[in-house]
Amino acid sequence: MPISTGRSTKIYALTWRLPIIIWQFFFFVGPVLFMVAMSFFLVKNYRMTEAFEFINWYKMLTRGYFWDSYKYTILISMVSTVCAMGLAFPAAFALAFSASETTRRWAIFLLIIPFFTSYLVRTFSWFVILSEGGVVNAVLGHIGLGPYTMLNTHFGTLVGYMTLTLPLVLILQTVTMSNIDKTLIEAARNLGCKPLATIWQVIIPLSKTGLIIAGIFCFILSFGDFVAPFYLGGSQETTLPILILDTTKSGQQWPRAAVVAIMMMATLFAIAFTGIAIAYRKRKGA
Amino acid sequence: MSDALVIFDKVQKKFGKFVAVKELSFEIYEGEFLAIMGPSGCGKTTTLRMLAGLEAPSFGEIHLKGKVMNDVPPHERDTPLVWQSLALFPFLSTRENVEFGLKMRGVGKAERKERALKWLDKVGILDFADREISTLSGGQKQRVALARSLVMEPQILLLDEPLSALDAHLVIRMQAVLTNLQRELGITFVYVTHSQSEAFAMADRVVIMDEGEIAQIGKPKDIYREPANQFVAEFVGRNNILSGTVASFERSTALISTSSGSFTVPTNSVQLTKGQNTSFVISADLVHISLEKPASINAVYCKLISEEFVGSMVTLFLEGAEGSRI
Repeated sequence: MPISTGRSTKIYALTWRLPIIIWQFFFFVGPVLFMVAMSFFLVKNYRMTEAFEFINWYKMLTRGYFWDSYKYTILISMVSTVCAMGLAFPAAFALAFSASETTRRWAIFLLIIPFFTSYLVRTFSWFVILSEGGVVNAVLGHIGLGPYTMLNTHFGTLVGYMTLTLPLVLILQTVTMSNIDKTLIEAARNLGCKPLATIWQVIIPLSKTGLIIAGIFCFILSFGDFVAPFYLGGSQETTLPILILDTTKSGQQWPRAAVVAIMMMATLFAIAFTGIAIAYRKRKGA
Repeated sequence: MSDALVIFDKVQKKFGKFVAVKELSFEIYEGEFLAIMGPSGCGKTTTLRMLAGLEAPSFGEIHLKGKVMNDVPPHERDTPLVWQSLALFPFLSTRENVEFGLKMRGVGKAERKERALKWLDKVGILDFADREISTLSGGQKQRVALARSLVMEPQILLLDEPLSALDAHLVIRMQAVLTNLQRELGITFVYVTHSQSEAFAMADRVVIMDEGEIAQIGKPKDIYREPANQFVAEFVGRNNILSGTVASFERSTALISTSSGSFTVPTNSVQLTKGQNTSFVISADLVHISLEKPASINAVYCKLISEEFVGSMVTLFLEGAEGSRI
């Protein structure tokens, strides 16, 4: 609620907002604009020259490998999102509805700990666990199974994505569901709703916004991640972030990499906007 | 009005070491409007929640229609509850809220809609059927909550302080809505409240609870005229409680001498012996105020300290000769 809209108040508020506006302008809007411009530049003798040609766009968007990579990245990010949301849900559900307030606080605190260390370090630690002579295969070997190849596979990539997204998704889901008014669940039970049916009938509709935001986060992080597909997936399939890297390496094709990056950003914007629109959608007939 | 629809048989509820309800035994008859009344923390809501299956009794049995209900999960009981917080589903429209219970019971779409609209009409908010819950006023939400429970056409309706969030004038109007509905439908209402005026205005019988136990059960008038103990007297009749010793006792009247004078008190069924310490209540509506010097019996001489004015009632605070306040 606006308390005062006096001129001096406005100036005061603006003073506080100004640094972030300047920061965003120089380090977000600026580079994006430059990237868009760069996608029209030409590369001659491994050097970028200013130009306004559609050749980069044409070269990238007509290549089969770009679209293969695009489809694969979307697919694996979706699988990652489904896995993270699915794996986190039972845990978040238990933390939100069965655990005591103290347990929930400790759980959330413990879930923040993974963010203390670099994601890259955590990814490398998976080598020890997943490699042919690693922990998992050693254990499986004792019961006469394996060894299984887990590194440099889609599975490896997904493990990496989970390392990145699962703690965050779990925190978001837990916080969302623990804010649900428990009487609404009791009211549903009182009106004949079976215990498991309350999840679809009451809990998911009530936590829709939070769940969608958790899903969007998971998708965005997976979609833009370079570490998991590169190190744990072994570049078996080229995701768009790997394609960007490859494109810049091969013949200094920064403009074409910019095309890929713009396509990625456009995709993420579209998904984030759609998701948020659904999350906050007012019901029809209101 | 005679068959026991619900029987509480020595029901006890503990939360850890805290005993919320102690050995509760009473019956609820078919078609009656029963109010469970008591101060907060007396176990009245716990009692209601046990009947709905939302809490399991630690000991004892609850019978509903002759069946032991202890192990029946809430969704298999036919005991819809109107919540203090109303607990309407914000993601559903008014009509969808009312349809919810029917949907859970597997009632077809067309029938669901028809029944929902019928009940919305009965509680007088048919025009709001397609509105969002958030756009309704407090009184309208109250009616949706009522329709959502009644659409199940239960034999018993549980109400947990449903009027506590409403403005005073709406409370009176909703009381009339509730009593009319109850008479028209002939179903049993179990109404939990801390408000004496709500309980006495609507209920056929009132259960007064104190610290997990029943202090008294009876018709409102009987409880008001003949409180079973000092707690009930204070809870329903506010003040005017005098203590003294029995000076003489004959069949149904006792002469009790107090520090404010002597009084003849009808004792009805209570047996007293001479010299016993006791206390009694003078109903506010039976007190006469006179400026004349009082007679030697059934009167108190006192000084007016202050007055409190609430609509049609005035509460006078008086100070007796020996400094006691009444």
